[in-house]
Amino acid sequence: MDTAIRAQVPRTARPIRTHLSVDAVRSAIGIAVFVAIWELGAHSAQIFGAPFPWIGRLPAPEAVLATWADLVVHKAYWIDLYLSFLRVASGFLVAVVIGVPFGLLLALNRWAYQIIFPTFEVIRPIPPIAWVPASILFWPTQDLSIGFVIFLGAFFTIVLNVLGGTRNIDRRYFEAARSMGASRFNIFRRIVIPSVLPSILVGAVVGMGISWEVVIAGELISGGGSAAGAGGGIGFFIWNAYVTAGQAAEAKIVVGMISIGIMGYASSELIRWVGRRATPWLRLR
Amino acid sequence: MHGESAAPAIGLGWKHRFDAIGTGCLHFVSGPKPYLMLIGFGLTLALWHFSVDVWRLPRFKEMPGFTEVVHEWASAHPAFGISLFTADYYRDIWVSCRRVAISFFVASSLGIPLGLMLGWSRKFRGYVFAVFELLRPIPVIAWVPLAILMFTGQESPVIFLVSMASLFATALNTKLGVESVDESCVRAAQCLGASRHQVLWHVIIPGALPYLFTGLQIGVGVAWFSLVVGEMVSGQFGLGYRINAAYTTVAYPTMAISMITLGLVGYVSSALIRMLGNALMRWRTSELAL
Repeated sequence: MDTAIRAQVPRTARPIRTHLSVDAVRSAIGIAVFVAIWELGAHSAQIFGAPFPWIGRLPAPEAVLATWADLVVHKAYWIDLYLSFLRVASGFLVAVVIGVPFGLLLALNRWAYQIIFPTFEVIRPIPPIAWVPASILFWPTQDLSIGFVIFLGAFFTIVLNVLGGTRNIDRRYFEAARSMGASRFNIFRRIVIPSVLPSILVGAVVGMGISWEVVIAGELISGGGSAAGAGGGIGFFIWNAYVTAGQAAEAKIVVGMISIGIMGYASSELIRWVGRRATPWLRLR
Repeated sequence: MHGESAAPAIGLGWKHRFDAIGTGCLHFVSGPKPYLMLIGFGLTLALWHFSVDVWRLPRFKEMPGFTEVVHEWASAHPAFGISLFTADYYRDIWVSCRRVAISFFVASSLGIPLGLMLGWSRKFRGYVFAVFELLRPIPVIAWVPLAILMFTGQESPVIFLVSMASLFATALNTKLGVESVDESCVRAAQCLGASRHQVLWHVIIPGALPYLFTGLQIGVGVAWFSLVVGEMVSGQFGLGYRINAAYTTVAYPTMAISMITLGLVGYVSSALIRMLGNALMRWRTSELAL
C-alpha cells in the first residue's frame, strides 16, 4: 500500500496539466476529423465524380462560414434570433411561474395530488408538438400559439421535477422541525424551498432545452402551413431557406441550425449560472 | 449474487402472486384514491365539454367538443374518415409505431456501444466527446430541412431524425451509467484477476444498466416527440401526419383523436421499456422491495 502510494505521488503531481492538454489535443483532432469528413463529403461530387451518399449533399464548411459572414451584418438575422428568443423566454417564464407552484401544490397537498395527478399523467404523454395545430387553431396570434406549445413542453418537465424533488426530502427534517415547534410556513420556507431548488433548476435546464426544440418545431410547422415568411424567427428563417431554395439555401439552413445551437446552449448556461447563484450551498460539496 | 436473492422470489409461485395482486386491488378500491382519480378525470372532461359545447366560450367554439370527438371515434361511418372502425386509423398507428421501432432499434444499437465507449475509454472520449457535445445543442428539429435534403425518399429522413434524437439521450445516459459504477468494484474485479474484457462485461455493463434504461425510456419519449415533427413536415401516413392533415382539411375531431391516440401509444411504449428494464434488473427490484 505504502509503496503504491509513493510510486503514484510523482505521477499524479505533474500530469494534471498534461492530461488536460492531452484531452484538448484529442478533442481538437476529433473536431478536425469531423470537419475534414464534412469537407470531403461536400466536395465529393467534384473530387470523385459522384456525391457520397447522405453527406454528399451537405454545404461545404467554408460556404457556411461565408454565408454566415454575409448574414451577421444584416439586421433581419438578428431580428429572427430575437423573435425566437422572445417566444422561448415568454413561454418558458410562464411555465416556471405556473409550474413551480403547481408542482408544490401537488407535492404538498394529498387531495390535490390524488385528484389532479392522474389527469396530468394522461395528458403528459402527448408530445407538445402534437399540440401545434390545435394551438394555432385556438390562439388568435401566431406568437401566442407557439408560446403556448413552449409553455406545455417546459411545464410538464418542471412540474415533474418539483414533484420528484419534494418527494425526496428526508422525512426526519419535517419531524425535527415540527418537534421544535416550527409553523407550517416556517417548514415550507426553511425546508421545502431550499430542498426543492436544485430540482427546480434541473427541471428548468431540461425545460429550456425542450423549449428550443418546440419553438423551432412551432415555427417550422406554422411556417409550413401558412405563406412562407410570415411571423419571423429562426425556425422561419430555416424554413424559408428550404422552401425558396434560393442562393446558398443549404448553407443558410446550416447557419440557422448552428445559430439555434448557440442560442440554446447559451440559455441553458444562463440558467445554470443563475442556479449556482441561487444554491450557493451546493458548491461546498 | 443476485441469482440467489432472485430465486426465492420466483419460487413463491403464481398462486401467491395472484393473491398479492388481489389484496392489492382490494386495498386500492377500498381507499379514496380511485374515486379522487375519477373526480379528476370527470372534472377535466366536464370542463372540456362545458367550455366548448355548453358555454361556447369565445376561443373554444372552434375546438372539437368532447361528445363530438367520442362520437366520431366510436362511429362506424365517421364524418371525417378516421375512427375505431376504419382501416386508415390502424394504418396510421402501425406506420408510426414501425418508424419509432426501427429508429429506436438503430439508436440503441449505435447509442449503447457509443455511450459505453465514451464512459469506458478515456482515449475514445477524448477524441469523440467534443464532436458529440458540439452537435448536441442543435435541436433535432432544426435538422428537419437538412435531413430532407440529405436523404432521398419519404421514409429515410423521418427515420434519421427520430434515430438521432433518441441516440443522444441513450448514449449520454449510458455514459453517465458507466461513470456511476463504483470505482472500487472495478478495482476489486481487477484484484481478483479479471481481464479488461471481463470487467467491462461483468462489472461495467450491469452497473450501467439502471442509467441505460433511464436513457432508453427518455429515448423513446424523445423519439415520439421528434416523430411528430418529422411526420408533420415530411413523410406520409402516421399519426403526426394525420394531425397536420386533419388541421389543414378542417377535420378537427380527427385531430383530437390522433392526439389522444399518440399519447396512448407513447405511454404504452415507455411502459414496455420500463417492464423490460425491471425484468432485466431483478436484483434491483428485489433490493428496492426489501
